[in-house]
Amino acid sequence: MAYESLTYEKREQTVWLTLNRPLAGNSINLKLANELKDACREVNEDGEVRVVALTGAGDSFCAGADLSELATFTANELLKTNPASVASKAVASVNCPVVAAVNGDALGAGLELALACDIRVAAKNARLGFPETAYGLIPGGGGTQRLPRLVGRGKATEMILLAEPVDAAEAYRVGLVNKVVTQRKLVEEVGAIVEILASRAPVAVRYAKEAVNKGMDMTLEQGLRLEADLSFLLQSTDDRAEGIRAFLEKRKGRFKGE
Amino acid sequence: MDAFETIIYEKSGGIASITLNRPRALNAVNIKMRDELYEVLPAIDDDPEVLVCIIGGAGERGFSAGADITEFGTVPSQTIGRSVRWERDLWGQFLGVSKPLIAAIHGFALGAGVEMSMCCDFRIASDDARFGLPEVGIGMVPTAGGSQTMPRLAPLGMSAAPVIIGEIIDAAEALRIGLVQRVVPRDDLMPTAEDVARKLMSRGQTALRYAKEAIRRGLDLPLQQGLEMESRLFAAVLATDDAREGIRAYSRG
Repeated sequence: MAYESLTYEKREQTVWLTLNRPLAGNSINLKLANELKDACREVNEDGEVRVVALTGAGDSFCAGADLSELATFTANELLKTNPASVASKAVASVNCPVVAAVNGDALGAGLELALACDIRVAAKNARLGFPETAYGLIPGGGGTQRLPRLVGRGKATEMILLAEPVDAAEAYRVGLVNKVVTQRKLVEEVGAIVEILASRAPVAVRYAKEAVNKGMDMTLEQGLRLEADLSFLLQSTDDRAEGIRAFLEKRKGRFKGE
Repeated sequence: MDAFETIIYEKSGGIASITLNRPRALNAVNIKMRDELYEVLPAIDDDPEVLVCIIGGAGERGFSAGADITEFGTVPSQTIGRSVRWERDLWGQFLGVSKPLIAAIHGFALGAGVEMSMCCDFRIASDDARFGLPEVGIGMVPTAGGSQTMPRLAPLGMSAAPVIIGEIIDAAEALRIGLVQRVVPRDDLMPTAEDVARKLMSRGQTALRYAKEAIRRGLDLPLQQGLEMESRLFAAVLATDDAREGIRAYSRG
């Protein structure tokens, strides 16, 4: 599929998605959001893809929503096609792990995109935040829901109500990002993480993602049941047999995703 | 508003302030204070002149020592005590205030004192602050919501221990586990709280209310329902004059 506002690069079993509107800070308009939706569908339909890395072209990860376009939508249109919401929903719908390489500022809808990923690695110079209330808005692409679940109500309330961004070090301290590296090292670091993820048994990795994410929405008892069900399903896969063989033979498993 | 006995209520330039004012009892929450807080909180929500509220404790020793232990056992029966708890649901009322609440905490914040602060949106502590939920040490559990509000404030792995162990933690540890958002020297406590209040006042007021609602109600919902609620609030806030003005201002750079 041809994309204009993003680049879709498949390298072996990894897809690198790069938001590509650098002159606009990679801000999310409806076109970019719809392309992300298509790209994420393409990932899910491609049986070879085991992991996705998401980053931004230029110095920003994503500066937010395209506010001037936002102002042209009616309330009804917004409920269906708020670009921030379309974009983060698309990323959250990816079955395999998604790693955000936060190469620069991730603000508003940009941070929402990062929150929809599974792992976040940030460049030292990145700022992360929700500036919406300073413009009389609230986050509209999942920020008020995913941030409190990740860092708790205390820090989330501070970031969302005060509308002041945090730097990468503070984001790391509160658990908002998993790792901080220099901007120069970011691609290398994220490359190492996606390589590890791609080497794991793909179905197991997907089920683990499902168990963690779905489980957070359930009572503990239901979550434990989901985990046990997924674990039993995995026992029927070839990869699981290969994993045990590899363990006994003290070598790395070679997984096929079956 | 009538003068209160156990609290001081003031407002100036959009900022309301409540001072817990029983310094000789380390601002312990007795029945009188509960009733006075129960009266003042709805007034904060109703008063269009008030945009944000700061809550602090009078005297040198601390914010609040918690429930007034001298009144323990004075309730006629457990069943009456239980129904009064819900007739005058002070903690529910705290959590229901739609405007931002800032707790400015110095010295001791124990039991219902720290629990009161956990019903607020911001907790700013002076570096001499000490926090604790000592209930389990006297054979009780927290009763002003602490066992529920604390695990929601910060990731469970960080926040559960103080509730379970009942130990006293200092300001640095409170910052580390996410119980407070800022720690400052004692002299800077009120200025910092006022600085946060003024920043909040410069934000869109409808946006603040909706954001607070989205966070608070969202944690009680499955993610999908939370996202739908957020979308509705987002569409509603975008239709406000504040949002139109905000977007115009943004576009002008």
